[in-house]
Amino acid sequence: MDAEAALDAAVREAGDRIRAALAIRFRDLDMAEEAFAFASLRAMETWSRDGPPRDPAAWLYTVGRRRAFDLGRRAKVRTSAVLDAPEPAPDPESILIAAFEPIPDERLRLIFVCCHPALAPEARIALTLRTLCGLSVERLARAWLTSEVAMLQRLTRAKRKIRDTRIRFEIPEPDAWGERLETVLATLEIAYAQAYEDAGGTSDAAGLAHETLRLSGLLCDLAPNEPEVLGLAALIRLTESRRPARLDERGAMIPLSEQAVALWDSRLIAEAAALLRRAAQLGRSGPYQLMATIHAVHAARRETGVTGWADIVLLYDMLLAVRPSAVAQVNRAVAVGEAQGADAGLAALAAVSDPARLAGWLPYQAALAGLRAQADLKAEAAEALRAALALRPAPAERLFLAHRLGELGA
Amino acid sequence: MQYLLIIYGDESLDDPVTLQEITAAHMRLGAELREAGAIVGGDRLKPSDTATTIRTAGGAQTLHDGPYAETREQLAGYYLIEAADLDAAIAWGRKIPGGPNYAIEVRPIWPI
Repeated sequence: MDAEAALDAAVREAGDRIRAALAIRFRDLDMAEEAFAFASLRAMETWSRDGPPRDPAAWLYTVGRRRAFDLGRRAKVRTSAVLDAPEPAPDPESILIAAFEPIPDERLRLIFVCCHPALAPEARIALTLRTLCGLSVERLARAWLTSEVAMLQRLTRAKRKIRDTRIRFEIPEPDAWGERLETVLATLEIAYAQAYEDAGGTSDAAGLAHETLRLSGLLCDLAPNEPEVLGLAALIRLTESRRPARLDERGAMIPLSEQAVALWDSRLIAEAAALLRRAAQLGRSGPYQLMATIHAVHAARRETGVTGWADIVLLYDMLLAVRPSAVAQVNRAVAVGEAQGADAGLAALAAVSDPARLAGWLPYQAALAGLRAQADLKAEAAEALRAALALRPAPAERLFLAHRLGELGA
Repeated sequence: MQYLLIIYGDESLDDPVTLQEITAAHMRLGAELREAGAIVGGDRLKPSDTATTIRTAGGAQTLHDGPYAETREQLAGYYLIEAADLDAAIAWGRKIPGGPNYAIEVRPIWPI
């Protein structure tokens, strides 16, 4: 294997773990990043010449750690002008000895640091993807539709706050665990929602979907007894499983209930089902598990050919009891329409609180249009569609709504 | 590391019973901080209408009657504490009593 292939393989397999171990050991995210970059560069030089080492990951960790020591000492010299005795130069023996020390798994700790509630919400996931997964600033900037300078500032500010205010580099204490875990899950949920927005899956935001999918899976390995962690991972998998079926050949959105089930990704659906079973065995329900279960009922149409709308209504009732939201209320109304008829659906939608505010909200107008069309109220449905179109939907949804409006012939 | 826990409170709160309760809660928190060896200092401030602000603009100084910013929630007091990290400082900050609406700002001290 050549040096580049060996390095790629080591970074893919152990990059997260090495980056996290360096960050936690030195309590400095910048230094860890720099040390890891240095180790990768040095690996290319050394491995090209001597061939890859027996354990490339251990090699990277050892060289990265040594670099971080050096950087730390230099920083100390700069700030305090006190000279420590220089560390002896690395010799083959010390590298060999270090190679037998396993790389500690500090990934969960690093996730908790990056998703600390004292950091700005928009910085949390970017920081996680940068420091744990090693995504480039340029890629993060494209995903958030912002400039590289702005993304770099966001990351720098967060890292400075961690350092200057001395945010704790530990797994949260039991009394704070629940709240801190919720912050981590919400951070991942928002990142995935951002990736999901782009139905075509061609943009850079959609590239995030893959990363959040991976991160949610990693979190399941790191916190296997947290049912909501498993629930969120299942939710992301189920939603992502439908990506190949979300657009028609003109690029218009296809609503879930009309998608061709053969296009859904059965591997992701099976993974999600297994996660949900594991979560259920832990016996603590929660919003992510409920949302995932709603999607699992939809996914079952692939096998049964029908959607269990009555079950979905029931699940929305349970979800609204633990995590009330306008989105869930509107989706519930649509499910009621399917389960009990358009009139019941319209009544449920009318019961959603604060209709004045909802009028300017796209999901509400889209649901209203669907239920009115179902009730054969053509003119009223067209009115809602026009209101929805006026709210500047994304291209895929705009095409879909415009097509529906054309079908009504109103 | 030292942290300043800055209390911003609603000065319009004037119910004597509530104020008495809050004061007692502050006394208890002060005792707890002393017990833990975490207290460095702290005090309550007189209302913001006693404030005088010295503003320097373009090198010239002028005095103003009143606080730096006229907001509903005003700087009301502070604790200066010693804590291992931000999380520990936030844990103390959460314990600071007040009326129904108030805010605690947690700021690390920049050692000289």
